[in-house]
Amino acid sequence: MKTTRLLAIASAAGLAVALSACGGGSGASDSSLTVTMWGGAAQKAHVDSYFTPWAKTKGVTIKQDSPTDYAKIKAQVEAGKVTSGPTEVEPNFANTACEGGLLEKLPQDILDKAKATGVAESQLGPCAIPILQYSFTIAYNSKTFSGAHPTTWAEFFDTRRFPGKRGFWKYATGGMFEAALLADGVKPDRLYPLDIDRAFRKLESIKKDIVFFDTGDQMTQMLASGEAPLVQAWSGRIFQAQQAGEKVANEWRQNLVSYDQIVVPKGYPNKDLAFEWMRWFLDNPKAQAADAEASIYGPASEKALELVPENIRKELPGFPANAESSAGLVDYAYWAKNYDGVTERLNAWIAK
Amino acid sequence: MTSATADSSAGRVRGRPRPLRPPGWTRFDGWGVLVLPLLVFLVLVFVVPLVFMLSRSLTDPSVGLQNYRDVFANAVYPRVLGNTFLIAAIVTVVTLALAYPYAYLMTLVGPGWRMVMMGLVLVPFWTSILVRSFALVLFLRDTGAFNSTLQSLDLVDQPVPLIRTLTGVVFGMVQVALPFAVLPIYATMQGIDRRLLQAAESLGDRPAGAFWRIFVPLSAPGVAAAVLLTFVQALGYYITPALLGGPKNTMIGELIVQQVSTVLRFGFAAALATLLLLTTLLLLVVAGRFVDLQKHLMRQP
Repeated sequence: MKTTRLLAIASAAGLAVALSACGGGSGASDSSLTVTMWGGAAQKAHVDSYFTPWAKTKGVTIKQDSPTDYAKIKAQVEAGKVTSGPTEVEPNFANTACEGGLLEKLPQDILDKAKATGVAESQLGPCAIPILQYSFTIAYNSKTFSGAHPTTWAEFFDTRRFPGKRGFWKYATGGMFEAALLADGVKPDRLYPLDIDRAFRKLESIKKDIVFFDTGDQMTQMLASGEAPLVQAWSGRIFQAQQAGEKVANEWRQNLVSYDQIVVPKGYPNKDLAFEWMRWFLDNPKAQAADAEASIYGPASEKALELVPENIRKELPGFPANAESSAGLVDYAYWAKNYDGVTERLNAWIAK
Repeated sequence: MTSATADSSAGRVRGRPRPLRPPGWTRFDGWGVLVLPLLVFLVLVFVVPLVFMLSRSLTDPSVGLQNYRDVFANAVYPRVLGNTFLIAAIVTVVTLALAYPYAYLMTLVGPGWRMVMMGLVLVPFWTSILVRSFALVLFLRDTGAFNSTLQSLDLVDQPVPLIRTLTGVVFGMVQVALPFAVLPIYATMQGIDRRLLQAAESLGDRPAGAFWRIFVPLSAPGVAAAVLLTFVQALGYYITPALLGGPKNTMIGELIVQQVSTVLRFGFAAALATLLLLTTLLLLVVAGRFVDLQKHLMRQP
């Protein structure tokens, strides 16, 4: 059985090669930046308006990945083979991951520059700068509610006056607990730390009218079809659907402002290049404004907001009228501490 | 499989002793080494990750059974696990009830119709599950094609709730699972010698009796394969119940994904996955006590 043994040896060698291939190479060249974001039209807008122009002047190749996958970041950092560069994340992840050592700490000059260029200090972290803003709004189907529509979270929860299903994002930080508490009469400045028990009681009162969605597409589809004529929504998606001719609209009263941040996973070989891009980004409100126009997400800094055309600006959280009627900013420091526990309770409540 | 078929034909020859086979690799006559690359592949992409996952469930974040204790400390996980098995069982029964007569019909019709029926099974089989599930959402939702047709025909006043219900999940999952049941059942039925039925009838049995006593038992291997494929596959479903199901129809796959991708508790997710795997294996062992799986799946005498 000579052939058998030979083949066995050959396969063993193959195995060894395959294993060593897994171990070699980090995949990053000297002048490339791998950008990871949530994908779709928004990612295209972001990359076009604030990565490509910078890359052209620097001779850097931009590679893309999507969507952001926290598990992948964690796995990459743990394995010591990081291929993701600048990555768009939610602030509660940026908080916990920064503390947990999964992210690169930003050089002090970037944080200073961010403050100097009009970025809100509350949206900065030791590992993260904000890149965009949006709001959790009361979105409604304007065909179903051609007369009056709910303008406060209390009315959103009033199923007698406004019958129909309500859509919520099946996600603890998706704003539903804040909405429930505001609906129950909690003052916006007293929202945090959230009274989760009270929020669940309020949610329980309309549970049979709640439908949950997982993605933005589901959200707009649900709202536009009239399946759930009321949705706690991401403002930009609703405006985009409206522009596409759907009978949907944002109600900006009591909107909850949220934001995404950019971080760099710990051990990214081209981290200095990533930092260099961050400096450029903060110094270029024009690029941020161009992105806001293309993606309907608010820019990171106030300076950039002024450069956005009026018809788009009125659909951004920073627009004065929207900012005035806002119920505040989602407190991601709270969520960083409580996300796991509340998620667990939410799962149990949903499955009950 | 080849060696199994060879075995069975050898076994059916009466009066001659089975050929003696030397033990070990040599029973594959040297050609067996062609299996080695596949073995290496399976070890690399299946066994190694499985071992990693098992060990992770016992070591992350600390060594011990903490993750398993956590699973049972919260009533939601055992309940969802039970729910997963219940939904998989319902889906298997419904799938079988549809697939068996369909496959039987396929053996009766002419070649042209058989092509059409085969196409009806294969085309959805080749289409992405995500696309199909999403299409079902659009079709079945309250304002979707199905309900608006019913309403325009004045058959119902209120839309029939089809999605975000158990009906929706079962509908969607059966639709995905059907090809996996039709194909093995059809393959088995095709090999059944119809002259056996004629012989039974010529000996005085009624057609229905001949069908039950001869055809059904002979098609059992295909049915066993279909049940296994459908059931085990249904246990791991994730996209379809997530899109078509309501809160009450959450399946364990969704919770595992959530633990991995949003809460980042890899060890806990590994423990959930391990429990799913173990309960599945346990169920197969129990099923094996009642049904001779080896006989039905390998078609050995």
